[in-house]
Amino acid sequence: MSFDPVSLLQGQYGQLIFHGLSLTIELAFCAWLLAMVLAMFLAIIRLTDRPLLRRLVIAYVAYHRNVPTLVQLMVWYFGIPALVPEQTQIWMARYNSEFLLAMIALGMCQAAYFSEDIRAGLRALGPGQSEAARSLGLTYLGSMRHVILPQALRHAAPALVSNSILLFKNTSLAMAIGLAEITYAIREVESDSFRTFECYLIATALYLSCSLLLMAGSSWISRRYRIIGAGRI
Amino acid sequence: MTELFSILHDYWKLLLIGSYPRGPLGGLAMTLLLSALSLMLTFPLSVLLALARTSGRVSLVRLSAAWVAVIRGIPLVMLIFWVYFLVPLLIGRNISGFATMLCTLIIYESAYICEIIRAGIQALPQGQHEAGRALGLNYIQCHLRVILPQALFNTLPSMLNQFVSIIKETSLGYVINVQELTFAASQVNGQVLTFPFQIFFILAAGYFLVCYAFTRLAHLLERSIQRKRLGQGHEGPPVPLAASPADVPQV
Amino acid sequence: MIIFSNVQKWYGRYHALKYITAEVKKGEVVVLLGPSGSGKSTLIRTVNRLEEVQEGQILFDGFDVTSTARHQDVNELRSRVGFVFQQFNLFPHMSALDNVTLAPIHVKGLKRSHARELAMTLLERVGMRHKAGSFPGQLSGGQQQRVAIARALAMEPPAMLFDEPTSALDPEMVGEVLSVMRDLANDGMTMMCVTHEMNFAREVADSIWFMDGGEIVEKSTPEVFFSNPTHDRAQRFLADRSKR
Repeated sequence: MSFDPVSLLQGQYGQLIFHGLSLTIELAFCAWLLAMVLAMFLAIIRLTDRPLLRRLVIAYVAYHRNVPTLVQLMVWYFGIPALVPEQTQIWMARYNSEFLLAMIALGMCQAAYFSEDIRAGLRALGPGQSEAARSLGLTYLGSMRHVILPQALRHAAPALVSNSILLFKNTSLAMAIGLAEITYAIREVESDSFRTFECYLIATALYLSCSLLLMAGSSWISRRYRIIGAGRI
Repeated sequence: MTELFSILHDYWKLLLIGSYPRGPLGGLAMTLLLSALSLMLTFPLSVLLALARTSGRVSLVRLSAAWVAVIRGIPLVMLIFWVYFLVPLLIGRNISGFATMLCTLIIYESAYICEIIRAGIQALPQGQHEAGRALGLNYIQCHLRVILPQALFNTLPSMLNQFVSIIKETSLGYVINVQELTFAASQVNGQVLTFPFQIFFILAAGYFLVCYAFTRLAHLLERSIQRKRLGQGHEGPPVPLAASPADVPQV
Repeated sequence: MIIFSNVQKWYGRYHALKYITAEVKKGEVVVLLGPSGSGKSTLIRTVNRLEEVQEGQILFDGFDVTSTARHQDVNELRSRVGFVFQQFNLFPHMSALDNVTLAPIHVKGLKRSHARELAMTLLERVGMRHKAGSFPGQLSGGQQQRVAIARALAMEPPAMLFDEPTSALDPEMVGEVLSVMRDLANDGMTMMCVTHEMNFAREVADSIWFMDGGEIVEKSTPEVFFSNPTHDRAQRFLADRSKR
């Protein structure tokens, strides 16, 4: 039995694999954007005075943290389309609904985790910073923009990065709903070529290298944007 | 809405215990069995890994760090396929989906539980280790009698949280047709066909109830441990009872 | 300049401020003394609405602090009151210079170059010009507090409030901050100061307000207060202090 993973990266198989890789990256990126924006919303709502809104956010986070991500994907892919009107179903099926629904499911799930990380970052600040900002006459939005959020995001960065890498890995779950990302593609190649070991090796290498890249990128970001002298105060 | 109740009424047994006793165990019972077994069996491996990480011997530290890094770098699905492929090769015969899932979870969780135990060991005051050695205990005795009992007790809430993660991870057994809760729900969906939302809603609600209950339990446990330790005049920084978000895997 | 009329404050059922009626005149330096929990910090924090009062009225430079409801006006008020915190509360992600220019640029709308000039002048005044590019994490406590004073001064407030500005400092750094405050007082700044530094109070204050249990128990000049306080609580307070 020959060992030649490189040959798998060429021709028809190669096309499948690289298409899978690009889908994985697109899905991860879109879901990440959705999750970040949603998480900021959730974190800000959590800070308001209205108990009803706060409880809604708490319920949102509790649901997404206690239900497996795979099940959440299934609810979105199998369950939700049954609820929407038929026209929308047809429209969705025509425009690659797997990608869209996977993006929504993963994005909403991660938003819960990101919002908790941002909350922890905000808590790490202490009341003095917002008092100082308000004492200078900055508005609520102004103090958020210039003083609070820059610091909170820096404090939250390690947890946010670690959860982002998890988001990337979770894209593999989309294979269960038929999205042709890396894992799905590699299974196709494997079932056709019977070169299981090489296929799995390629997929593992792709995932590992992307994770390592993300970690290196975040190291660079945290060095570039670190608070100089932090730890003394 | 009424369909919800009729589905529950017709299929509760399948969802809860699978086709037992006329067939293999399944559903929620299988999920919990798989999770509990995984946690118990991953324990020895994790303790060894944690000891390797804290041993100070560079080769051991690097090896165990590499193990943890690789396992945490690949998705669980990928690991399932690796185990499904490699284990039969190694032991010469095919194994069931259940055994595959069990092995996968043991390996996957070892990377995370080892980190929890490591944090627990490192959070103990240096004095504990020194006192043990000063009494003449060797490395093994010191860890067995002094370090590990304390560290493990302190990490109980974290372990419980990790158990919740394992419960969520068992849902991936669906991909290789392991008869756990998610698979059972998809079977029901295959029979009923017309009410997918209700079925998957029940599935999500089932996981939510179980996981939420254990999470609250972990929270209560953490508070009572904190109170106990504060009462004994414990000084120094608090032991991180819950693993940091970086250490808790989500599935 | 700052007028308190029958100000009262409760924290739940705890009566934190009782019937405070007093006035800080323009150019006056008032030092608040008293045991911990007497309400000194609470009182000073009501002036820029970091604490709310339930009854009474506070006027700042003719502006009614207590009756302002709209957020816009509260921000305007705060931009005109200079406040220095015990914990400095500098913004650690910005340099000293940026800390000082933040409010002038984003609240007053000054142009960046103009704000920088102003900031450099102020940093010079507090003796921190050479550290304008440093970050708070690189500065000592005394240096940070001096930057904090410059930051408050950058908004050109008619009055400055100091909430135990030296209590969080190591003893050898207290002097540099107090000398900045002394210079400010000599330049005619209206100041309200909560402090435990008795010598500072004796030398710089025009008035001493002694507080205990949420009330201003005695108001007098430093000469009178330190040699011959009338109230027995004040006497006990001074006796305790001199024992150390």
